[in-house]
Amino acid sequence: MARRKVTPKTRKPKLVEYADKEPSAFASMLGGLIEANVETRPEKQHDFETLVAKVGIWVIDIDEGVTLDFKGGLLNVHNGLKPRRTITIRTDAETVMNLSNLKIGLFGMPVYYNSVGRGVAMKLLQGQLRIDGLLSNITTLNAVTRIFSVQ
Amino acid sequence: MAVAAFSGDWAKLFKEEINKSSVYKAAGKGWKWTVGLVVEAEPDKKFAEARGVVMDLFDGEARDIKVGPPADAQKCDFVITAPYSRWKQVATKELDATKGMLQGKLKLKGDLPTIVRYTKASQEMTECTTRIPVEWPDEK
Repeated sequence: MARRKVTPKTRKPKLVEYADKEPSAFASMLGGLIEANVETRPEKQHDFETLVAKVGIWVIDIDEGVTLDFKGGLLNVHNGLKPRRTITIRTDAETVMNLSNLKIGLFGMPVYYNSVGRGVAMKLLQGQLRIDGLLSNITTLNAVTRIFSVQ
Repeated sequence: MAVAAFSGDWAKLFKEEINKSSVYKAAGKGWKWTVGLVVEAEPDKKFAEARGVVMDLFDGEARDIKVGPPADAQKCDFVITAPYSRWKQVATKELDATKGMLQGKLKLKGDLPTIVRYTKASQEMTECTTRIPVEWPDEK
């Protein structure tokens, strides 16, 4: 009897999962943004595959937040802030957008000397952008910025 | 003189405002995709039929803006959908479009990294809508 050749289905591994049954619009947007970035930009893949950290983002002017739980190749997105976060970013909606517009420069460092970078640095100095856990997790923050950046 | 909301005259003024804006010209450099705005009907607000705004934007310029059926807008590369009263809130500066998108009040379809890259351009486009004198059907 002739055997039918079965071609194994190659299924793309899932990069982003949502912890909540109904992810918030903000959670879907950040999850979707990171997924598209990692899928289409090979230079982001190393960071995504190696990063293990829980990153909270709280948008003060919409009173909403998410927790991005990076598990080395998989991102779990939670609505709201979950406990035991590595870093927590608290700022307004416009700055969240600007964070993802930071250019990545030499040695994979975010660029703070162009207009977007200066704006972000200014907000940090003025206390309009707060990053809890910044000092002890600078490499984590840089990795998150690289994954997050659309530039 | 005020124009009817989301009408052909409104589209004409919207195009003029965008092309007058030096901020948009700079921020929209490199943009080459169509944008559709779907304005969902709200009969209780005297906006009885859904409309679609099709925007042909290219490299910091609005080449054409047309108002037609929502199906036309849904074919665009980027589609933003909201009920009439939400769009009114955006055009009257009651709702910031970026916040609206993050909150899901304005639903966005399209490549997210691209739209995020052009946040400034989309903010300026929103600003342009606020400069158009509009006659809102629910205020008549």
